[in-house]
Amino acid sequence: MASLVIAAPLGGLHRGWARVRSTSGQVRFGAGILAIYALLAVIGPWVTPYNPTTQLVANPYEGPSWSHPFGTDNFGRDVFSRVLAGERLMVVECVLAAAIATVAGLLLGIVAAYVGRTFDTLLMRCVELILSFPSLILSMLILAAIGDNSLVVILVVAGLFVAPITLVIRGAAQAVVNEDYVTAARLRGENRFSIAVREILPNVLPTVYVEFSLHAGFAAILISGLSFLGFGPAPPSPNWGLMIQEGSAFVSAAPWSVLGPALGLAGLVVGLSIFTEGIGKQVGEGTLFEARI
Amino acid sequence: MRYVWRLVGSRLALGVLTILFASFAIFWLVELLPGNAATAILGRGATAHQIATLSAQLHLGESPVHRYLTWLIAFLQGNWGVSIAAQRPVRQYVLPALRHSLLLAGTALVIYVPLSLGLGMLMAVLRQRRSIRFLSAFVVLTSAIPEFVFGIFFLIVFTVELPWFPPLANLQSGMSFGQYVHTLALPALTLAIVMSSYAARMMQANLVAVLDSEYVRMAVLKGLPRWRVVLRHAVPNALGPAMRVTVLNIAWVVGSIVLVENIFNYPGIGTLMVQSISLHDFPVVEAITLIMAVTYILANLAADVLAAVFDPRLRK
Repeated sequence: MASLVIAAPLGGLHRGWARVRSTSGQVRFGAGILAIYALLAVIGPWVTPYNPTTQLVANPYEGPSWSHPFGTDNFGRDVFSRVLAGERLMVVECVLAAAIATVAGLLLGIVAAYVGRTFDTLLMRCVELILSFPSLILSMLILAAIGDNSLVVILVVAGLFVAPITLVIRGAAQAVVNEDYVTAARLRGENRFSIAVREILPNVLPTVYVEFSLHAGFAAILISGLSFLGFGPAPPSPNWGLMIQEGSAFVSAAPWSVLGPALGLAGLVVGLSIFTEGIGKQVGEGTLFEARI
Repeated sequence: MRYVWRLVGSRLALGVLTILFASFAIFWLVELLPGNAATAILGRGATAHQIATLSAQLHLGESPVHRYLTWLIAFLQGNWGVSIAAQRPVRQYVLPALRHSLLLAGTALVIYVPLSLGLGMLMAVLRQRRSIRFLSAFVVLTSAIPEFVFGIFFLIVFTVELPWFPPLANLQSGMSFGQYVHTLALPALTLAIVMSSYAARMMQANLVAVLDSEYVRMAVLKGLPRWRVVLRHAVPNALGPAMRVTVLNIAWVVGSIVLVENIFNYPGIGTLMVQSISLHDFPVVEAITLIMAVTYILANLAADVLAAVFDPRLRK
């Protein structure tokens, strides 16, 4: 598995800066794109020119202009404002889903590798079962069964991603549990919790970063794909997937209303993929990002 | 070869178990769909008598396990039930859609194989050239863009701005071969590009590793022509992983075909599934999901077996 080059302790500030300087150009390029998205998500409400749900009935299907950079849609809503509002939603949704999945996968993976035995076997059977379904189909069924507001979508997507993350982190932790320093800690009389937190955790952290960033990208694709198919918040939510779906009905009258959210989504996923593959290379994992869910 | 057969046997057994579990999960999830099925079908104006009759017809009074077993056995016998929305046998409804989807996936595969192999070889053999580096960067970019974003771009460029293709991929019986190609082109191309970009990158990575190996250098030093070194010595050793990726791609298509069909309103099982979920048409949803799950599981199984066939180191 991974050759764990970077042990990532929570070091001081100068150490952090040294880490930033040692990153590859690819990581910095990806991080730059992501920084723009993060910034827009934070300042979005202050730079949004119009209310994203206000209908300016006087001018529907208006082409891009200085007052409406991405034009207006069938209800005369400003597409630029809607794309910005949707960007904020998207960033929050995919970061939340990936964070929940990564934390759960980290816990389960370390425990599975360290405790082993029956727990490990049972957990792996469950993981295999979840992985034997296409995630889009499975999440569609679950959302159809239990309802689909934004929070449920985030939780379902996070729940599905726990399986692959657990698998990878378990592998990384298994490579560590038999190392001499873990044995030494055990012989020193340290308890299992402190061994897990102080010896194993720091050594799987690089893998954790890669998995988080990878699954943030997958979450963006899956969540917007789901809302494109109608599983997610209802109109007039400025969700990108929903905007693409609504816009594709009048794509010949106002192609720009689809182009805005589509380009926004493509940019976000491309940024995440460049960043993921960059940090993957740096920690010695040849992660290839593929936009499929 | 014995290892391989043993592997096939054990994976097949596990696969059947997974499919059984999948069918149960599907049945259970679909049963959970909001609203009593009978009420959902008849609407709010139905009388109590009508609801009771339909409930009996759907065996809603019996225990879930009993209903599951009845459904599964009937499904295996080819009796897929009656569609609630269309009031027609599910098989008559699903099988034509499945044929359309297979046609679409097959067309995509026909585009995919030469595209990914060609791109992968080009990107590996000529990797020092600047134009090829641009091509590689473009392929990396392509592999990160989701399939429905691609579909939307194609829709805008090739049906709106340049109206070369029909915006709705509507198949009709009695279409000529040319009309079929014309209708299938955009959705199939969308699927093929998404599959190819990843496979081409895998092919490139593997081929570069092989090209850097000792025996390829040996072949070069023996004075063999370059095309012969690449085609006879390098490519066969990079094909194993490429085959595996291809089979995994078939598994992935099960998910992405739903999105692509919905973009182009293509009359396949993906479109039918989304419609049936919103109509609460349980028998149709169950049949389609089971077909998809079985395809996905079998493709993954085939990928594992292929990996073992092509890489003897995995045969433990």
